[in-house]
Amino acid sequence: MANVTYSRVCKNFGSVKVIDELSLEIKDDTFVVLLGASGCGKTTLLRMTAGLETITNGEISINGVRMNEVHPRDRNIAMVFQNYALYPTMSVFENIAFSLEIKKLGREEIKKRVEETAAILNLTDYLHRQPKELSGGQRQRAAMGRAMVRDADVFLFDEPLSNLDAKLRAHMRVEIRQLHDRLKATTIYVTHDQVEAMTMADQIVLMRNGIIEQTASPDELYNRPASKFAADFVGTPSMNFLEGSIESHNGAPCFSNKGLQLPLPPDCPAKAGQAVICGLRPTDLHPDENGPIKGVLRFREKTGAETNLHFSSMDNHLIATTSRDQEIGIGANIAFSIDARRIHLFDKNSERRI
Amino acid sequence: MIVETAATRRTRIVLAWLVTGLFVFPLYYWVTTAFKSSKDIFNIPPSVWQFSPTLKNFEEVFGISFGYLQRQEVGMGGGDFYMTPRLIDSIVVALGSTALAIVISTMAAYSLSRMDFSGRHHFVNWILSTRMMPPVAVAIPMFFLYKDIGLMDTHLGIIIIHALMNLPLAVLLLKSFFDDVPREIDESAIIDGATRWTIFRRIILPVASGGIAATAVLCFIFSWTEFIFVLTLTQTGLKTVPVVSSSFVTSTGTAWGNMAALGAASMAPAFIFILLVQKQLVRGLTLGSLKQ
Repeated sequence: MANVTYSRVCKNFGSVKVIDELSLEIKDDTFVVLLGASGCGKTTLLRMTAGLETITNGEISINGVRMNEVHPRDRNIAMVFQNYALYPTMSVFENIAFSLEIKKLGREEIKKRVEETAAILNLTDYLHRQPKELSGGQRQRAAMGRAMVRDADVFLFDEPLSNLDAKLRAHMRVEIRQLHDRLKATTIYVTHDQVEAMTMADQIVLMRNGIIEQTASPDELYNRPASKFAADFVGTPSMNFLEGSIESHNGAPCFSNKGLQLPLPPDCPAKAGQAVICGLRPTDLHPDENGPIKGVLRFREKTGAETNLHFSSMDNHLIATTSRDQEIGIGANIAFSIDARRIHLFDKNSERRI
Repeated sequence: MIVETAATRRTRIVLAWLVTGLFVFPLYYWVTTAFKSSKDIFNIPPSVWQFSPTLKNFEEVFGISFGYLQRQEVGMGGGDFYMTPRLIDSIVVALGSTALAIVISTMAAYSLSRMDFSGRHHFVNWILSTRMMPPVAVAIPMFFLYKDIGLMDTHLGIIIIHALMNLPLAVLLLKSFFDDVPREIDESAIIDGATRWTIFRRIILPVASGGIAATAVLCFIFSWTEFIFVLTLTQTGLKTVPVVSSSFVTSTGTAWGNMAALGAASMAPAFIFILLVQKQLVRGLTLGSLKQ
């Protein structure tokens, strides 16, 4: 059980800056998800934590001990790779037992620990099988078993679910999270899948171009995104963005865009006249005949439980998520309202939250 | 799918047999020559299918008696055409040089595949370039070198030169097999606490065993059929099969039957070797254990 601290960590590949002065504190027992698009440096950061990449500048420490020069085997970490990286010629038992054998534990002890791990992961019946004889989900579990058996301080996961089909992925999400709740080990989990991040994390670290965009709990990231990028990255369908400015109507602040007027909460910190980007989550838009957001329905997208309505309003293309009972014809006029507290405002220049 | 008519199917089968026949016939003719008496060998038209088989040629070449030859006709185990020791020389040289080449090249290929050092790329090219030189260009300098250091006319000398000759190919071939093994497997083992040597021995070698077997087969065959180095670097101590084959050409004529007997017999070791590693060869092609 360990704290992991990154202070001003940099990583360059040649002249390319992959990680730029990144600082982050990961507390004991937390499940942290590094979230970001591909190429944002999240996997590099994980590999640096494991010791598989050198650190160009800055310091990574585990439990206060500087790790930069420590060999991966001495960091007491465990890692699950995207392609599982099981040892192809060894059985599941040998795969899980490998690290214990290297530590020269006794045969009885190894057998006991492997079997305990296998029982937790429902792998007992497959221990004698070769990796190629396992299904994707079983391979994934075998890879987790190999990590779990070691009693590591920190667990590192590098997109472990991306090779599984959607249903199995949903199942493994729950399993991994339950496993974490049971083992209580500090976990760093890399993914580009916002659903994985939202469902599993205690804390999400949203990365972009080698820097941290926002560190927050899933709720906070969704409800109070720190920037337009964070707001756009999380949530399906993505947030609607409208450019406009703040106006004052009889002393009450209001967002204005080409004739669209949205009242804002009275304590809104934005100043009158300020150029802003207004963010509206599709799920926060409610059909309301008298609502301020009026438009024409262009396209309907059914997802089963809900229907996404694509509509145009004053040259803007917007999406609203409504209940599946809404039966509106294409081309019909529709109107929506939104709770003023659910409106997100970002500065137009810095794109940071106001 | 293309639907095949009966006619195209027939043509395809006939063509397949023709091509197969074209390749197999010389082999067949050579092997049957080994079982022919001189009379049958020089028959015009050639007796391809009908001849009275004899083991006389084998008796002369290997000094074993099957009853076709009177003991006094040829000095058993001492005649001009007695080749058993030469076959053993060939086997020793081919096995020895293959083993040496494989031991060195697996380690070299693993380092080239996994370890980052400056100039690695140039190093690989340099290894490849040594193969571009024709062996004849090296044979004479090697002759003087071997004479000076005492490797002339020794099994060890030929084993070393054959291993050297095969190293570039073996290293490059094995490197490509190792490159196919995902790096994550090494990394996973590093985190599990394994040293480089443990990873190489316990994980990479078994995974790449198919590739190693294929490489070994090639090394074995190249050594088995090599001519120039054995010709220039040996005198009486040893001779391999390709070189002694020329000794059947004598001032009184060519002993075609004996030459064919040695040739037919010399196919056997390579054939057996390939059979032995065949299982590994097939496995090398079906590495299905990794999700990629």
